[in-house]
Amino acid sequence: MQQEAVDAVLSGLKKAGVSVACYLPDSLLEELYPALDADPDIRTIQVTNEGEGAAICGGVFLSGKRAVLVMENSGLRASVEHLARMGLGAGIPVIMIMSHRGDLGENNWWAVPHGITMEPVLKALRVPYRIVRSADEVERAVTDAFTWSYTAYYHSAVVLSGETVR
Amino acid sequence: MSISRYACMELLGRRLTDELVILSLGGAVDEWYDAAPHMRAASLFQQQLGCVSAEAFGLAVGLPHRRVVSLDTDGGLLFNLGILATLGNERPENLFVVVWDNEQYQSIGGPRTHTASGRVDLAAIARGAGIDQAHTVDTLEDFDAHCAAGLAAREPYLVVAKTDGVLQPGIRRKHSDGLEDKYVFVRHVEETEGITIMGPSEHN
Repeated sequence: MQQEAVDAVLSGLKKAGVSVACYLPDSLLEELYPALDADPDIRTIQVTNEGEGAAICGGVFLSGKRAVLVMENSGLRASVEHLARMGLGAGIPVIMIMSHRGDLGENNWWAVPHGITMEPVLKALRVPYRIVRSADEVERAVTDAFTWSYTAYYHSAVVLSGETVR
Repeated sequence: MSISRYACMELLGRRLTDELVILSLGGAVDEWYDAAPHMRAASLFQQQLGCVSAEAFGLAVGLPHRRVVSLDTDGGLLFNLGILATLGNERPENLFVVVWDNEQYQSIGGPRTHTASGRVDLAAIARGAGIDQAHTVDTLEDFDAHCAAGLAAREPYLVVAKTDGVLQPGIRRKHSDGLEDKYVFVRHVEETEGITIMGPSEHN
């Protein structure tokens, strides 16, 4: 992951007032996780699966603090049940930042399904998202996602793609 | 040996004042609604497996000065056992987890869960995940004692109550859905914490 993009994520999270980050580490965002861990303003919580991370983020929302769920886009599939129940069932939002595995240029066979399923799953859940391929668009995408989710009280997603992660 | 969940709830409810509660689906919803009416606005009634203790943990992270109670179930906890490992590592000092273990998926008529075999021990799993204070109780006296300890603990505390699966008869049904429940709960947190969680739009 580009250092410029890592910095832009952190900057966007701070502008959005985020103080908790739940994550299940992946390889494309490899440099982001230690940066989150090292940030004194953000408490990081490593989870066992992304659905659990979504639920923890939902609980943080209920406290008045702000949380983000960081993951590979495969984690979206693992969290569908939790996202549907919390978002559609109760209006509890989760803001996600995910890596774009399986995009054109992918060179791992196991990651191809992640690219094929990501957008249909997001659309099935009616989650608005922005695919960002340039570091200079990252900060604004993060703050926009939080603004939208705290207006709609529904999930949103920023997908880090292209040169930001490769 | 097993005990009445409703009787347990009455005991727990007597110990609660300004705590926040998140609870699972099934018969426990209406029972808690009736057993602890003073806690209705302070309780988030979540209709989902695998979310309850994770959401309660998130709430506890966001409000470290406030005691949070998770009322989970055997089916719900089995859906995401990973949360026990997360709690074991994160060690919240303000989270008390109660697991109502009636060994069945009661809300859909009672098919058995894995705990019905007698081999699956949720408290032992929790201890193995790093939650040292994880206990199983099958008497009301023990349950009450663990509530006292769990509500005062400065480490994650979990009690599995082996309940009898008998729904309390004659109780009032909760009429609200998940959206209404969320608004009631959020407004309660806002009022008691003096904060804004869901504020006004830019323009009205």
